[in-house]
Amino acid sequence: MARTKRAIAAATVGILAATTLAACGSDDKDKNTAGGGGSTVILGTTDKPGSLDPAAAYDLPSWTIIRNTFQKLYRYPEGSTTAVPDAAEKCEFPDPKTYTCTLKPGQTFSDGTPLTAKDVKFSFDRMVKINDPNGPAGLLAAMDTVEAPDDLKVVFHLKAADVTFASIVASEVGAIVPAAKYPADKLADSGFVLGSGPYKLTKFTADQQAGFELNDKYKGDIKSANGKFVIQYFPQSSALKQAIENGTVDVAVTGLSPTDIQDLRGKSAQGIKVIDGIGSTIRFMAFNVKNAPADNKAVRQAIAQTVDREAMIKQAYNGTVDPLYTLVANGFAGHADAFKEKYGAPSKEKAKAILDAAGVKTPVDLTLWYNPGHYGATTADEYTEIKRQLDESGLFKVKLETTEWEAYKKAYAAGEYAIFGAGWQPDFPDSDNYVAPFLLPDGTFHVNYNNQAATDLIAKEHNSADPTVRNQAFTELQKIAAEDVPFLPLWQGKQVAVTRPGIEGVDKTLDVSVLISFWVIGKK
Amino acid sequence: MSQKSGSLGRYFAIRLALAVPMVLILLTLVFFMMRVAPGDPVTASAGGAKMTAEQIEAKRHAAGFDRPLLSQYGDYLGDVIRGDFGTTISDHRPVMDIIVENGGATLTLTLAAMVVALGVGIPLGRLAGRWRDTPFDVATRLFGIVMYAAPAFVLGALAQLVVVKKLHWLDDSSLQASPLVQLNTPTKTHILIVDAMLAGDWDAVNDIFLHLILPAGTLGLIIAGVFIRVVRVNLIQTLRGDYVEAARARGIAEKSVVNRHAFRNALVAVTTVIGMQFAILLGGSVLTEKTFSWPGLGNQLINYLNARDYIAVQGIVTFIAVVVVGISILIDFVNALIDPRVRY
Repeated sequence: MARTKRAIAAATVGILAATTLAACGSDDKDKNTAGGGGSTVILGTTDKPGSLDPAAAYDLPSWTIIRNTFQKLYRYPEGSTTAVPDAAEKCEFPDPKTYTCTLKPGQTFSDGTPLTAKDVKFSFDRMVKINDPNGPAGLLAAMDTVEAPDDLKVVFHLKAADVTFASIVASEVGAIVPAAKYPADKLADSGFVLGSGPYKLTKFTADQQAGFELNDKYKGDIKSANGKFVIQYFPQSSALKQAIENGTVDVAVTGLSPTDIQDLRGKSAQGIKVIDGIGSTIRFMAFNVKNAPADNKAVRQAIAQTVDREAMIKQAYNGTVDPLYTLVANGFAGHADAFKEKYGAPSKEKAKAILDAAGVKTPVDLTLWYNPGHYGATTADEYTEIKRQLDESGLFKVKLETTEWEAYKKAYAAGEYAIFGAGWQPDFPDSDNYVAPFLLPDGTFHVNYNNQAATDLIAKEHNSADPTVRNQAFTELQKIAAEDVPFLPLWQGKQVAVTRPGIEGVDKTLDVSVLISFWVIGKK
Repeated sequence: MSQKSGSLGRYFAIRLALAVPMVLILLTLVFFMMRVAPGDPVTASAGGAKMTAEQIEAKRHAAGFDRPLLSQYGDYLGDVIRGDFGTTISDHRPVMDIIVENGGATLTLTLAAMVVALGVGIPLGRLAGRWRDTPFDVATRLFGIVMYAAPAFVLGALAQLVVVKKLHWLDDSSLQASPLVQLNTPTKTHILIVDAMLAGDWDAVNDIFLHLILPAGTLGLIIAGVFIRVVRVNLIQTLRGDYVEAARARGIAEKSVVNRHAFRNALVAVTTVIGMQFAILLGGSVLTEKTFSWPGLGNQLINYLNARDYIAVQGIVTFIAVVVVGISILIDFVNALIDPRVRY
């Protein structure tokens, strides 16, 4: 018995001594890092993927992984909203309701399985069949059937003419999975990823880490500036900030608070760089046009005339977002500052004139609903400043209200709110995604807006592949929105990345897709 | 002997039988409480503006959330009895995978904290008991009470502020190890430090150890307060025992009396407390792991609660409940084995 105790004690001391000795050893964090183009880049973020299966992935962190590990028929190169061939050699609309693609020959998935038109048909059929509650199958609503007449040809039959289908299949919803490896009617096992993109997933620990290395079977035209890529998921902003400061990660994206970013901007002497890039998220006030006082166009226009976006952004966001003067975000085709053109600089005199002309008695009582739970704590500062501006004009008397997100969504969908704050992130980089969900009669935000001219213009841009025709339609639609003000655009998000010394290329991936392209990030 | 065994067996059987309704009540409570809370996984993950009310309803229907509650409850119980905790709705992970992958982190933190607690609590309790009512005893008792009374989130936040942010002695505890260590350690047991040891990568063990110091040290010190008090009180009581007086009367040195006679007996009570503290650590992992952002089961539970993921919450709570109940039964069994009086 005594011998056993001594043995246990010796073993315990041994383990403690070993770990303590190890603790005194060298701190060689980069011992597995290859140099130059074969280097390992570690990216830190607080945004975690919902699913790695394209059929259930419908969030930015998941789509980032899909962007880098799967091919699509077409893809959006970094910094561009014009899709280029990916797995396909060419795609076209032979008629408005048919979209045909011809694949490049000789392509394979990362395990060597050949990539054929049957895999493409399988991927789209599977997405629709699974129709996962959290997945993006809804984006394929325009698709009727898909055929694979031979190994290289794919034919999509659409329910109605819709040129945006080309943009949709070039987004991550169009990821091609191997028919032989993915189940047809259910999701793949958690953590399983098998694509034909430039990277392959080598290790995945949910909520902690995703590790990638180059896919040596990839035959596309992407050249990578690194050999391995790691995404390290952090539970909170403070931990991510510390990780970029002490070099645990090379790049930090999404999740840093405006205060953290401001603090990191002051650390350029240590080689830490804060890089600003364009974003595609927009925030706006929505007006239910059948609900008083938002049912009065003059009230909506007077609010648009009064709100000072730049002052609000300075006050609430410390300059980390850009003012937005139209529905279509900056960087997208047809973008025009329609609200700026119509209303000019904020002016309470002009606002008063609008209300007086319509015979509206002032001050107008407004209840502004907003939701910091879903849109971030800073939203409270944003709406407090908007309230201050509107109250100060003497034309409005504003009451701010908020509630829990679930109740908030139900209430605005049920038309209970006259004016409420909301946000939007496009599903695919096409200006249509900034107008159709907003201005069609059955719009996403349930504001009861119905303008036949707007509906006709949306049908026109849906039916035309001609960029000139489409851009004209988008310009007109933005003017209509500025005139009727069913929505008051407030700001467009920026992307911010923070890098350590020696990290290059991050600026190239901060584009309107809001997805990180691993291949452009290199480490000296 | 046979009568004694029979009594012990009956006691054990009763404890096991009582555990079943205990777990069942907990499962039922969790099931219904999750469903009366506003929202469901479809709406929680829909991002609000992305889906129309009709689309949300269609997806709720497809997921079966619009079925009668009792029908959902029956299916749920059936699955649990078959050992199937299901697959999460929000990120499609089998609950067993979560338990295996994140349970390793919870187990590592719990064991490490226990090592710290025992390493600090037992020697200090022993010395405080031996030198009763001296300034050392008063200081140790004060330390024990402060540690025990301090909420984990307060002490944890303070430790992180001082040790990580001000002094920069350690990395933040939100990672189990540096990213490259995590990436390059082959997964075998899902307990990172064990995997690193199995791989013979002592640099990795070093790295993991450094990341573990802060959360395990803080948690360990909190629990050490309990051990200090238990060991001290029991040592004082045993030092008053007749057999200790007899040993002294036989001329045995005081050091030997304390170490060989009194202290060993005082340790019997510690076994019970160890079990209870393990259960408290596991049950309280939600708070402690959130405090340290430690990637264990408790942290996962919070994330899935926020996502209104019924399946994940039910599965993790069930698992934690079964483990706590299991430990509780084990403690009762050990106590009954040591002290026959508890069986009656």
